[in-house]
Amino acid sequence: MMSKMPHKTERLSSIAALAIVIATYLFLYVPLVVLLVFSFNEESFPSPWKGFTLKWYHELFQSTHLWASFLNSLIVAICSTAISLTMGIFLIFYAAQGGRIGKFLVYYYGNLVIPETVLAVGLLGFFTLISIPLGLITLVLAHTVLGLGFVIPIIYARFLELDARMTEASLVLGATPVQTFFKVTLPLMRPSLIVTGLLVFMISFDDFILSYFCAGSTSQTLSLFILSMLRSGISPIVNALSAVMLLFSSILVLLFFIFSQKTRTRIF
Amino acid sequence: MKMKLFRNPPHSELPFSIGVPALIWQVLFFYLPLAILVVTSVLKFNEFEAFEGITFEKITFFLRPLYLKVILSSFILALSNTILCLFIAYPLAYFLAFTAKRFKIFFLFLLIVPFWTNFLLHVYAWFLVLEKGGFLNNLLRLLGIITEPINMLNSHFSIMIMMIYYYLPFMVMPLYSSLEKMDFRLVEASLDLGASWSQTLRRVILPLTKRGFKTGFFLVYIPSFGEFAIPELMGGDRWMFVGTVISNYILGDETGSLGAAFTVVASLFLLASAIGLYWVIDRLIPWRIHDVKDAA
Repeated sequence: MMSKMPHKTERLSSIAALAIVIATYLFLYVPLVVLLVFSFNEESFPSPWKGFTLKWYHELFQSTHLWASFLNSLIVAICSTAISLTMGIFLIFYAAQGGRIGKFLVYYYGNLVIPETVLAVGLLGFFTLISIPLGLITLVLAHTVLGLGFVIPIIYARFLELDARMTEASLVLGATPVQTFFKVTLPLMRPSLIVTGLLVFMISFDDFILSYFCAGSTSQTLSLFILSMLRSGISPIVNALSAVMLLFSSILVLLFFIFSQKTRTRIF
Repeated sequence: MKMKLFRNPPHSELPFSIGVPALIWQVLFFYLPLAILVVTSVLKFNEFEAFEGITFEKITFFLRPLYLKVILSSFILALSNTILCLFIAYPLAYFLAFTAKRFKIFFLFLLIVPFWTNFLLHVYAWFLVLEKGGFLNNLLRLLGIITEPINMLNSHFSIMIMMIYYYLPFMVMPLYSSLEKMDFRLVEASLDLGASWSQTLRRVILPLTKRGFKTGFFLVYIPSFGEFAIPELMGGDRWMFVGTVISNYILGDETGSLGAAFTVVASLFLLASAIGLYWVIDRLIPWRIHDVKDAA
């Protein structure tokens, strides 16, 4: 197609661009590779390679503190994902019955625009004022706000893209609006609901700032546990933990990709 | 006309009341806490925590040079992070959208996996790389560039590295998204008709991707203004940023309401700077093709 030979400067700039791309991926992955390699090293970090061992993984799976905080993070992430998705689906149900929710959409943009630190400070003040004890419940409340900021704009956009002829056919053929919603609209939206759910789950699971302010002293999440380990210095157990977590998120990203192929749902 | 029947609003109020929880939640746990935050920053309490009146003392307390300097350093941190991310992200997003082709999914996957992993683990990974006995020092020594190990942690360098590492995907994703929607034939047309690469970039690609450009810019700028974990962990308490001051006041004893006031002051600065930057960006780059025509 391109009849013109690429100009010399063009070729130079495309080489420069490629160099930036390679450098960026090195930048992203060199730390992770170092991390993984040293998770198998027999001696603790500053020492060079001594020999292959799995003992750090063994220690990792014995640490009760770690798994308690992992469980807390899991509970919070599952609850806040479930609550925000359910409320989102309810709102879509209203839209499917002819409600105009477009005008409400703008109220949810703030959740993503505001710095999380400010939201965390506001929520902490609010929880103290109405004296809800800080813990898993306050974390779920806080993370659900974050989740709604993603769920509502994304699933409403997917809802608008649905083929209206499907629901019209269902209604013409005698299904009630409620039947139509559960038998036609919801199944059509399932992939985008799964994708959004995965996104919200991961955001909640990895969240640090809201947990830091709203968790209180009794319930530790995984982020707070890792923070305490970081502050106490370098330990190969964290390397092993990173390897496990990278595997965990790779699987979730893979699921995310598989389902987003079906919906073209994007993160942004 | 027949179809209109089904699009009429329903007669029962049930659907609306089912939609209401999402709205209540948003008001109760988003707008109300923020309103309370603003109100408490101007309320005055005596030592028995009884209400005494309205005061702007707490606000003006933070308008001193010490705290304005903190806000300025957060502004510089956020802006430099955003600009660096932009320069790295644009070629990357371009690569993902047009060059990667068959391997696109693979490279996207590689980009998102770290993004979906707890960022504290990445902080830890960078400790291992930047430490005195760490990977980078060993590499530089092996290459003969340095003889003595340098301490790279607790510096502006290490803070910046970690900031870019964490925020890069927030910039790449919107840029990639808008580049992918762009019609690449326009780029080819521009090149075929004799425009140079930089002209094409400035006059075709940038105007067509302005949405992604702006989204990415503010997705990085706003959270990095309030960032406190990265400067603290990578900078080792040596520098104060907005987030550090907020967390010190909020989590300290008896200083919660001062923390609220500082949060409000810093948020106002953030809002003003974001509006200012939006204005600058809008004027810096010709966003519409016909703007360019006039300029040329």
